[in-house]
Amino acid sequence: MNQPNRLAQGGRIDRRQPLSFRFNGQTYQGYAGDTLASALLANGVDLVNRSFKYSRPRGIVAAGAEEPNAVVQLGSTPATQVPNVRATQQALYDGLEARSTNGWPDAQRDVMRWVGKLGGPFMPPGFYYKTFMAPDSMWMTYEKAIRKTAGLGSSPTAADPDRYDHMNQHCDVLVVGAGPAGLSAALAAAHAGARVILCDEQEEMGGSLLDSRAQLDDRPAAQWARETLATLAEMDNVTLLPRTTANGYHDHHFVTLHERRTEHLGETAVSADGHRPVRSRMHRVRAGQVVLATGAHERPLVYAHNDVPGNLLAGAVSTYIRRYGVVPGNRLVLSTSNDHAYRAALDWQEAGREVAAIVDARDAPEGDVVERARAAGIRIITGSAVIEAKGSQRVSAARVARIDREAFTVVGQVETLACDTIASSGGYSPVIHLASHTGARPVWDESILGFVPTTVAGVHAAGGARGVYPLNAVLADGLDTGVRAATALGFTAATPAAASPHCEAPDEGPACALFQVPHEKSTLRAPKQFVDLQNDVTAGAIEVATREGFESIEHVKRYTAMGFGTDQGKLGNINGMAIAARCLGQSIPETGTTVFRPNYTPVPFGVIVGRHCRELFDPARYTPLQAWHEANGAEFEDVGQWKRPWYFPRERRTAEGTRLETMHEAVVRECRAVREGVGILDASTLGKIDIQGADAREFLGRIYTNKWQKLAPGRVRYGLMCGDDGMVMDDGTTSCLAENHFLMTTTTGNAAPVLEWLELWHQTEWPELDVSFTSVTDHWATMTLTGPEARKLLAELTDIDLDREAFKFMDWREGHVAGVPARVFRISFTGELAFEINVQAHYAMHVWKALFAHGDKYGLTPYGTETMHVLRAEKGFIIVGQDTDGSVTPEDLGMHWAIGYDKPFPWIGKRALTRSDTRRENRKQLVGLRPKDPSVVLEEGAQIVFDPDHAIPMPMVGHVTSSYYSPTLESGFALAVVKGGHQRMGESVYLPMADGRVHEAEIVGTQFVDPKGERQHV
Amino acid sequence: MSNPVNVYDARADHAVVAAESPLAYSYASSGTPAPARHSRVVMAERAFLGHLILRGGAIVIDEALREVLGLSLPGRPNTLTVADDGRYSVQWLSPDEWLLIVPGGEEFAVEGKLRQALGESHFAIVSVGGGQTVIELSGEAARDVLMKSTAYDVHPHAFPVGKGVTTCFAKTNVILRRPDEARWEIIVRRSFADYVYRWLLDAGEEYGIGVTRESHHEA
Repeated sequence: MNQPNRLAQGGRIDRRQPLSFRFNGQTYQGYAGDTLASALLANGVDLVNRSFKYSRPRGIVAAGAEEPNAVVQLGSTPATQVPNVRATQQALYDGLEARSTNGWPDAQRDVMRWVGKLGGPFMPPGFYYKTFMAPDSMWMTYEKAIRKTAGLGSSPTAADPDRYDHMNQHCDVLVVGAGPAGLSAALAAAHAGARVILCDEQEEMGGSLLDSRAQLDDRPAAQWARETLATLAEMDNVTLLPRTTANGYHDHHFVTLHERRTEHLGETAVSADGHRPVRSRMHRVRAGQVVLATGAHERPLVYAHNDVPGNLLAGAVSTYIRRYGVVPGNRLVLSTSNDHAYRAALDWQEAGREVAAIVDARDAPEGDVVERARAAGIRIITGSAVIEAKGSQRVSAARVARIDREAFTVVGQVETLACDTIASSGGYSPVIHLASHTGARPVWDESILGFVPTTVAGVHAAGGARGVYPLNAVLADGLDTGVRAATALGFTAATPAAASPHCEAPDEGPACALFQVPHEKSTLRAPKQFVDLQNDVTAGAIEVATREGFESIEHVKRYTAMGFGTDQGKLGNINGMAIAARCLGQSIPETGTTVFRPNYTPVPFGVIVGRHCRELFDPARYTPLQAWHEANGAEFEDVGQWKRPWYFPRERRTAEGTRLETMHEAVVRECRAVREGVGILDASTLGKIDIQGADAREFLGRIYTNKWQKLAPGRVRYGLMCGDDGMVMDDGTTSCLAENHFLMTTTTGNAAPVLEWLELWHQTEWPELDVSFTSVTDHWATMTLTGPEARKLLAELTDIDLDREAFKFMDWREGHVAGVPARVFRISFTGELAFEINVQAHYAMHVWKALFAHGDKYGLTPYGTETMHVLRAEKGFIIVGQDTDGSVTPEDLGMHWAIGYDKPFPWIGKRALTRSDTRRENRKQLVGLRPKDPSVVLEEGAQIVFDPDHAIPMPMVGHVTSSYYSPTLESGFALAVVKGGHQRMGESVYLPMADGRVHEAEIVGTQFVDPKGERQHV
Repeated sequence: MSNPVNVYDARADHAVVAAESPLAYSYASSGTPAPARHSRVVMAERAFLGHLILRGGAIVIDEALREVLGLSLPGRPNTLTVADDGRYSVQWLSPDEWLLIVPGGEEFAVEGKLRQALGESHFAIVSVGGGQTVIELSGEAARDVLMKSTAYDVHPHAFPVGKGVTTCFAKTNVILRRPDEARWEIIVRRSFADYVYRWLLDAGEEYGIGVTRESHHEA
């Protein structure tokens, strides 16, 4: 077990539980409680990635979400690949397999590094745009090659075996972050009686308390955290969500949390009790108030070659030592602008390793921790900074010099200190990402040298997230914030139970402002000083951008890519803004910040999708006859969310054996059955609206274009509905069930919109009418029995008198079918004798099967929507949405007979039909088309011209709306809209096709079969 | 009669005619995992009940309901009233719309009596029982399953017994209500019932969801 950087004791890892893992093909050991990052550092792995643009070697910098370099690809199989995982956030598990995301063939022997080395000076900001600009058409080609060398990980190539889901949560107070501020806030709000959710992104809740040296109420800070969590866990009104990152803060305090439930256990969730646990869960939280206790990120200093492995954040050094028992090097130089970072040097020395020096930018640092460092014999170099790191694969020395911060120059001699680790701290930046998601621009607070969130109603930043750093103040601030959040919602705070623990106020001296460290050479000539490590943005690049005229920080960001991508500027943004401010000769508040966007850290697509995938992606609506359709081999068509039988292919015997019919063969057979025998269609999907009230008839007259005053009970009428623009929006039949009672049918897809349309007009325009509407689409199943033999078949099963005189076309009757109460409507969408049988849906299967039990001798044939389309088109019956497109009036359809211009009340659409545009004669009008070659079936959507010899562009005069092969006509036929078509009967039109052929067709009437309509009356 | 409508008994004799509930297809195609000891949530359909939509003014409908069933309209939006024996319930759906659920087979008679009692008022009654069904959830994890399914707050503070709402459920709409401490009821349209059934089986999988089926569907 060789972990050269692991301490013999200390940390929160479990040395009795060794774990084995692989990184870039090498096997290593770590312990339970490690992150992948701490285990890699324990094993002395310096190089974890290649940088994005320059392909420079990179090591671990941070210990949390702000890590820019150690972005790895997880997974050992094509199905379990996870890109963009921060090694600092990934718990170690036995068998973990990870790779660097950048570097080809791998991060150690990378080819691109030569480009980076040689091309480095020649890759200024905007390099890709400038270099690969011309010719325009080649950008796509360049882009592919660039992407190959750049990318951040790869997607899984096989289906993900894991489950992901969503959980909707509601609470009074959501607390993000379970460090000292968050724990205190949660406790205060919970004691006040509020429903509290406390989430924290780390493996263990407690935040900075876990590696703090402080005593709270005479206990170690970590113990206080543990006890507080135990208290919270026992409260009914508290939900604790560890391993849960708040990634997006959306409108109205809607916050999305990503909970990693099994990521710490293995690369897929392990089945237990016969079911597979959810790997990741999206909590969709609607909160009354939100406390952002997200803490602060330490800012690194920007000095030359600050990206060489071995350059770390000071706080990360402390965290690795104190929390994981890992010292990531042997000899440390600490470069700092503040007292707090001194802890890193003290921790380092206590761990038994050597501290070469603390380099402090301040001239006269004071404070407890400084005194302790002095007392420990550590050399402190004041008024100075590390100006450059030496080394290529690992830091080998630090060049230290006295600096003049005001003049931005190096003064005096440069001293070179041998070391393998440089820790830096330029102060702390409150983690304001979530607060920024609300759209509130943060403001610069000079006293803490950082941006803090502005006030947004219901959003409370607490502790480090608003620049409160001393632990005693953080605890008090958290408590106060929790009380404020709860009382804002009307809860009464119960203070004594949750009083802040006693904690010594640390004596810290003031920090100084230091972002970019000056170098002996100018920024553009000095070795690269990195600002954004993930996007390879240097101080020089920002200076170039400002020189090229990019003065807005948003433009600088886009030109240099600073703060882009998965990083979202966690480490680099404030330094970048400070550098831009320096270059532009203005202050940081004048320069402003860029906008942080969701997500805070990457969220897997699986958890965004949740269970809304595969068979649960969208509801499938079934009729009560679905089981029969499936058992009888139906192919299905989606109509809205409905599954409708499309056609019913049968087995067909051929010389080669049996095979299923093609759609064409099935449709020909189904069409013939209806025209010659009897067919049956499941029409249950048609929208059905029950309309009752003394003014129901009046209402219908205003909604439909035609007349309803005289429709008697027992009768049915076809109706057209227009929008207020006069364009056809729906059609269907409406039956008069009783004087004040009607049953309206709508097209399948328009059932809900039509009901809303009726309610809209009733509620907003004519509330005085006594009428109400109720959807009964699902209550009634509808079976259309149609064909010359329909009467004979139905007669065997019903007590209704089917005599043609007693039960006429467009009548409806009540009775029984197969022993079930039924309403039967003589409506025909096929042009044949037809009976639409409506029964309560519970009995649909019974009636359907009874019809088939008697139907054999008549050749009863089930047919689907395709045959329905052919049969209705042969009769010129339109389908709204296919033959109309929102620009077609009833007159365009030739349906003058369905318009009651003389009705006393001006029905919807009437006025629009008197406009000059709706009255002009060359509107596109619905006609039939008969191809000259009967074997041709015109393409739906094909454009129509009058003169095929006209030079291109030809004037297009219409298009085909419906086109099929008719077994009855033994010919193709079509419906189409043609300019002035109603006056052009018998003329030829032409349809030039993409393949160069030109079809000729004759304009005919829309009724191809039985134009006099005799068959439906038999 | 000033409000002549076609009042129609669409119910068949279930002793003679095979009736299929809205979940009949789902039972066959998705299965019915039996409740086991580890089942923390159990789903059961209450099929073939009479469902009547009542439209009209609250005062007259309240009076008619009291007269016919001894049941009063819920006084507040998004609540329901359940008769003492649990066989009748009436729920607010919108300012002039309620859902009355009665034992299966009684809907025609109840509609007739209500129409009699309502007389000349402006109102409408529509039987919709063929088009929807009641799915009942019980067990300690019922609320977790609901949290996966609806954005509505189902915490007891926000959703006490006696509350009922029309809301989004996964990607469809349902009526969600809490008739008593032990049960939640989901009323779903027939054509969406299979989707909801599959969704619930999936959401309840981690809690060992089981399905109970009434042996006789006559309620």
